[in-house]
Amino acid sequence: MAKILVVDDDDSITLICRVYLTKAGHTIETAPDGAAGLEKAGIFKPDLILLDINMPKMSGFEVAKRLREDPETKDIPIFIMTSLKQEINIKKGYDLGIEDYITKPANIEHLKLKIDRFLTKRGSC
Amino acid sequence: MFLTRLTSSPHFYTFLYIAICMLAAFNIFEVLFLLVHKRRVEKAEAKKELLKHRITTAVITVTDPSELLPAPKDSTDHEAYSEAVASIIGSFQGEVAERAIQLIYKLKIDRYYQRLCKNPVWYKRAHAVDILSALKLTRNRDFFPDLFKTETSNDVKYRIIYGLSLLARDQEYIYSLCKLLSGLPYLTAKYTEDVFFNAITALKGAGREAEFKFFLKRIMAAPEILTIVKRDCLSACHAAGCEQMDLIVMEYYWTFQDEPEVMIACIKSLVSMGDLAILPSVLRHKDWRVRLTALKSAHLCGPEVLPALKDSLHDTNYHLRINAALALARFGAEGRAILRGEAASPDKFAADAARYALGSAEAAA
Repeated sequence: MAKILVVDDDDSITLICRVYLTKAGHTIETAPDGAAGLEKAGIFKPDLILLDINMPKMSGFEVAKRLREDPETKDIPIFIMTSLKQEINIKKGYDLGIEDYITKPANIEHLKLKIDRFLTKRGSC
Repeated sequence: MFLTRLTSSPHFYTFLYIAICMLAAFNIFEVLFLLVHKRRVEKAEAKKELLKHRITTAVITVTDPSELLPAPKDSTDHEAYSEAVASIIGSFQGEVAERAIQLIYKLKIDRYYQRLCKNPVWYKRAHAVDILSALKLTRNRDFFPDLFKTETSNDVKYRIIYGLSLLARDQEYIYSLCKLLSGLPYLTAKYTEDVFFNAITALKGAGREAEFKFFLKRIMAAPEILTIVKRDCLSACHAAGCEQMDLIVMEYYWTFQDEPEVMIACIKSLVSMGDLAILPSVLRHKDWRVRLTALKSAHLCGPEVLPALKDSLHDTNYHLRINAALALARFGAEGRAILRGEAASPDKFAADAARYALGSAEAAA
């Protein structure tokens, strides 16, 4: 099963993701802000990053940009999960090379399926 | 004279000493008070975070989380419940969100904030309205309109409308929101756009996006709705990525020919829906702001827009010249050929814009 890094400043969200995705057999690591997310991405080497946008210290867009610039992390798939639904943000996310843009509120069961299908296709599962 | 008499007094230094001691004592007391207060706030915050963690765990793990959790006693407990639940329902839908909402009803958290909405202090009422809005309770649909009637502060009224917008269900509902808005002084374009954006998102969530189309149709000729509010509805349409509304937006475009701001909102919406049919004619519009909006997407059109783009390079307005040049640079080989020709133009301003765009295109390549 895959290693997933959840970067979100909201404890409730990281907790729910941790519980549900662990149940699905994945190993979960969490980070409470963008800077910590970047650091953990380098150490944990996840198969997928679930990334929020509105976070302290560094926004999700900046994290995605830096991940893509770093040769060590540039190939890690990123799923943005945010409450920002505006077209302009969705476009910005895809321009940064993310794999998927999920708007909150998301259905956790659908999210699990989406992650599993993506990782299976990629051969990470 | 006075100073000499004062300092020569036998008690002067005694008084000075006492004053300094009192000042020092006051400062020490102030620092101690702040430290104690900081400690209390930190303790309350830690307690709240712990309770929030317990609430989230209970919501995930058991069918009826109210059985596992203590009833809220004070304002910190109520805040913990409302924040945890707002966070869950803001991020997830389905079973988890339903359980979280049931928890609010069972522990009567909503009743607590409904009572707080009657507080004599306006910012406390505003806070309570914000929390009830974040919880997106269907009961708010009945509670908020009643509250709006008795509310005296406009600041709170704006919040009530915002909260109602998150629960939009049909065109009638949005129309009544619009009427409530019309009764208040116009706040900002961002606020009004957000209200309609929320309404569209709520309708989309219920699979009823078409209701917004019917609403737009209904208010198009309604004199009681401000034109700027109509403009904000169209901007919200663009921001929310509305689909299948091109016909009604086009109707707005042709109806509001004397309102450049409405036309601009229409053009942006149409472009985001992939409808570029009006762009070639808009490039020749009399209002420069309308032309500028069209120029920003002109590179998506066919070669029929090239003559208009070339003419815009000679416009008296700097923004139009530069955007026309950038549109030509994005156009591909044909556009760049025009730019190379214009770079040697006797019109110094057109030549500058052409050279700038060519330089940008080469740098990007």
